[in-house]
Amino acid sequence: MKKLIFGGLAAMTAVAAIAIGAQAQDNPKLDQLKEQGFARIAIANEPPFTAVAADGKVSGAGPDVAQAVFERLGVPEVVASISEYGAMIPGLQARRFDVVTAGLFMKKDRCEAVAYSEPILCDAEAFLVKKGNPKGLNTYADIAAHADATIGAPGGGTEERLALDAGVPRDRVVVVPDGQSGLRMLQDGRLDVYSLPVLSISELVRLAKDDSLEMIAPISDAPVYCDGAAFRKGDEALRDAFDVELAKLKETGEFAKIIEPYGFSAAAAMSTSREKLCAAQ
Amino acid sequence: MEWDWQFVWQIMPTLLEGFKITIIATLLGSVLAAIVGMVFAVLRRSPNPYVARPVGLVAEFIRGTPLLVQLYFLFYVLPSAGILLSPLVAGVIGLGLHYGTYTAEVYRGGIDNVPRGQWEAAKACNLNPVQTWVHVIMPQAIPPMIPALANYFIAMFKETPLLSAITVLELMNQARSIANTNYRYIEPMTMVGVFFLTVSIVSVFGLRWLERRYGRVER
Repeated sequence: MKKLIFGGLAAMTAVAAIAIGAQAQDNPKLDQLKEQGFARIAIANEPPFTAVAADGKVSGAGPDVAQAVFERLGVPEVVASISEYGAMIPGLQARRFDVVTAGLFMKKDRCEAVAYSEPILCDAEAFLVKKGNPKGLNTYADIAAHADATIGAPGGGTEERLALDAGVPRDRVVVVPDGQSGLRMLQDGRLDVYSLPVLSISELVRLAKDDSLEMIAPISDAPVYCDGAAFRKGDEALRDAFDVELAKLKETGEFAKIIEPYGFSAAAAMSTSREKLCAAQ
Repeated sequence: MEWDWQFVWQIMPTLLEGFKITIIATLLGSVLAAIVGMVFAVLRRSPNPYVARPVGLVAEFIRGTPLLVQLYFLFYVLPSAGILLSPLVAGVIGLGLHYGTYTAEVYRGGIDNVPRGQWEAAKACNLNPVQTWVHVIMPQAIPPMIPALANYFIAMFKETPLLSAITVLELMNQARSIANTNYRYIEPMTMVGVFFLTVSIVSVFGLRWLERRYGRVER
């Protein structure tokens, strides 16, 4: 009897080993994540894309989608670390995270640096200005044309690049560490414009409860961007597995259920594709 | 990850731009620290305890809190009190005040080193306190402490990257923004190190010279 059990066990182990072996060839990265039970994600702290509460609890549309997809892939947990936007891609390359889910919008040069999933969160750009927009700044080009207007943007974020590309000199593009500082600097008159995606600015306005500020959105000389989960080049197998589960989420409507309470449009993400977004400019 | 010289030359102008700000912040900070330190040192020696005690407490307080916290305070908290400083000015004040409390100790040592007889002689000549300080004590106290002061200024120079936290576009901040747009850290960060090392090495030779020139206390 005992022998039989042992024999059975041995056979089962052998089968399991073969199964794992076969899978390992397919997707060693995913197996590694399954084994350790968690995936490391990079986030910013920019609600509603990514948010960290005072008690350290991570939420936001980006991490929530990542959590849902990784659960379906058999990785029960995601461990988030906060990073500056500009440091996310280098951090990914340096293997500090497995994936970036922080509203890192797809742009051509980023698509060349990382392997994006299909689109997840889409948003246009917005400005936060003093009430009445005293300097009349409605586009990035307006700021470039103005003699001394300053703009605040996250370091390495899309808005910083948009401002520089529009021709705003470097010393008038202020790198702002987080939303709260940006709000503060605008209230203190250190900045004329604080630029973030529309939903982030709306959230900031909601929290600030300050009547002396006003939002301008959408900004006409910036397109609507979409982010995707960004994987390291070389982890395309993991990315493909992620895409499969993401597509299922989108189909079942669960995707909309996750991101729409945050204010994002599921239809916007589903109406476009990585291919289109990466090809554009 | 390999080293790309072409990229280095491409980012050099931006880094030099930042380096200029670093140097300006250090020089202005040093001047401020030298003045603040002297004021602290002299006031702390005041015979009036209502002057000496509070000044001592303030100096201890500044020395006992991190520079980064002070910078945040100057930059983000003071505006609520109606004092709006530009990033560079806030940074220079932060560096100057913080290091001023350290240089105050250097001044104190230098002043204590002036023989007691000098004070008595000044009194015997009927010099008032200002004359005593300006014409008798300081000229003897300052030369021996120049090397120690210079040491603090070099230390301050190496602390200037902290100013990037309050959005001063100095060397470190420029390097970070280069890294942010190019996804490469190796060249910008190495070059930041090279810039700092170059200045530090030159300063060390300068410091040796200062020590030879002023370091000996003549009795």
